[in-house]
Amino acid sequence: MTVADDIDVAADSPAEATPRLIRKGALYGVLSALMVVFCVVPFILVIVISFGRKVEGAAWVWDFTFENYQRFFVGVLWPDEVTFLYLQQLGYSFYFAIIASLLAVLTALPFTLLLTRLKRSAQAIWLVFILSSLSMSEVFIVMGWDILLSNNSGLPRLFQVTGLTQWLKDVGWFQTLRDIGLANPRNVKFKPSEFATILTMSYLVWPYAVILLYPALSRLDPSLSEAARTMGASRWTVTRTVTLPSIRLPLMGTTLLLFVFLLGSYVTISVFATPDKQTTAVAIYSNIRGSNLNAPFGSAQAVILLISASICLYFGHLLNRKAEAR
Amino acid sequence: MLKINRRTLLKSGVASVAASSLATPLIAQSRSLKVGSYGGYFEDSFKSFVYPEFTAATGIEVESVTQPNSADWLVTMQQAASAGTVPTDISLYGRQQMIKASRIGGLIAPLNVSAIANASNLDGYFVFEGPDGPQGVGAMSWFTAMVFNPNEVDTPASWADFWDTDKFEASLGLSNVNSSGLLDITSATFFDGEETMMSNEGILAIIDKVREIKPNVTLWWNAESQMEQGMKNGDVIGGQYYLDVANLMASDGFPIQPTFPKEGNLQDYGSWCLSEGSEKSEEAAEFMNFSCDPATQALMSRNIGTAPLVDQAMTDLTDEEFAFVSGSPSIKPAYEAYLDNETFIKESWDKMLAES
Repeated sequence: MTVADDIDVAADSPAEATPRLIRKGALYGVLSALMVVFCVVPFILVIVISFGRKVEGAAWVWDFTFENYQRFFVGVLWPDEVTFLYLQQLGYSFYFAIIASLLAVLTALPFTLLLTRLKRSAQAIWLVFILSSLSMSEVFIVMGWDILLSNNSGLPRLFQVTGLTQWLKDVGWFQTLRDIGLANPRNVKFKPSEFATILTMSYLVWPYAVILLYPALSRLDPSLSEAARTMGASRWTVTRTVTLPSIRLPLMGTTLLLFVFLLGSYVTISVFATPDKQTTAVAIYSNIRGSNLNAPFGSAQAVILLISASICLYFGHLLNRKAEAR
Repeated sequence: MLKINRRTLLKSGVASVAASSLATPLIAQSRSLKVGSYGGYFEDSFKSFVYPEFTAATGIEVESVTQPNSADWLVTMQQAASAGTVPTDISLYGRQQMIKASRIGGLIAPLNVSAIANASNLDGYFVFEGPDGPQGVGAMSWFTAMVFNPNEVDTPASWADFWDTDKFEASLGLSNVNSSGLLDITSATFFDGEETMMSNEGILAIIDKVREIKPNVTLWWNAESQMEQGMKNGDVIGGQYYLDVANLMASDGFPIQPTFPKEGNLQDYGSWCLSEGSEKSEEAAEFMNFSCDPATQALMSRNIGTAPLVDQAMTDLTDEEFAFVSGSPSIKPAYEAYLDNETFIKESWDKMLAES
């Protein structure tokens, strides 16, 4: 029991204090039970299942084998043959999450900065608009971009009717687009591609970036940069030496949070990423719910993804501490 | 004790269903059956055209349950079985999933085929023998066909045309699931069909051939709707897709046309299986018997677009109606290979797809 609790109890008459204590205890009990049932137990289940064994042509059975973990690093045919397929998928999980979260934060930063300089009422309208856009699920957003990038209804159509496609063909750049997979013989095409994947992932977390940066940026004291300006510093120097250092921590925190959020993207990757750039999240799903019912290997992949993400967060935390210490 | 409880619960459930369906309270109270089928248009057609006929013929009410056409349903059934519940009395399984369910055990119950007289209309292949006797009766068949956009290309004569980069560069839509037929199609086109699928070397040779088609594929789809959108949007001008849906889309005016190339199209079929723990085995047998009736097979072909499992001659389907849902030659999936060599095929396939 904490000191604060003691004080609280002492202030009440003993007759009232006992039921309140019981109520408090019961509340804590229920909350911990909920935590255990809904967080800890599933989590432990995933870890335990990751040691299970797949039965060919059926499902899987409980076991204690490290084969699934070994498969993740060298493939199922090791030692006859080695594949880094699953490491490659893990690599792309990080690749897309890092680039998309950085892009979202870097574009949200100037927007949020401008937003904080608007009138209060205008700020409120913008914030409500951005908050409401959070209610759209990943599936909706991906569907929207899918239509926007489609041949007959989206950007490629615009290229065609404005004559841009023909112009690209005339000047010879069309062949380059075909070589890098952004065109078929008839028209330009933007999906599936890295471009569409990163664009959609950044778009997905952009409102979060604004909302996470807003409190820190709205507390920025404008007199600091004004003072620097009056002392002759250029606008860029002010941004670099005054504004950015003072929001270093929220910037790092936001990027890390978005990064972790994006590590698990499923719909965007499965719709917009080319098969050579699929990620661990998609592979986990295809093992657990896909046609082969290999939950143990899916769980092992999930555990490894979790460990890798934790390591990243730990280093992020270290960097933060270092930055604070300076 | 538990059993009595469950029975009481089931009875009260049936009673409440009866109370809600005022039109036929007496029939509903006496007999009912929960039947699973793949959702959307497919299930709606069953509810509108097939189940009412069954109820009219037997007096058994059908409660329709939406189930996926994938191993997902096996996960659901396993979880339900360990919780002691039965989500459906009858579920619809593809052959591969049915064999898996049979091997996992405790999911599908043996059937009393003598109560399903009409099963004799079906080829013996369509009555699946599990370890403890028959466990599945064929329901309907479907084709995964070659489709193309008739506004953009001429009718391809062979699957091999899809490998022609001059015609199909970055334009095809194929399934990214290893067991969804591209291996069988490739094997039938360039190798010795099912026989090549039975060895690791054969699998690798087929996968090497599939690797060559990659520059022509723009969409590796995993959900049917992706391919549907791809064809409608013009992102895709050819690929593999379900024959019945392709025909429906074509009759709605979309630029898609299915065709039977000289190697044929992939034919798979679904089976009705009785859930372990269901107490409606008699009603289930009646339903399966009804389903095997040539008239019902024709009813499903007309209204759902599935291919009949009985000879066309047994049904009253016209040649035109038959061509809408079926064709020849047919390529049969190498079920045994997919089941016995599952992990090897999946990893080799995934590796091939993941190469840049």
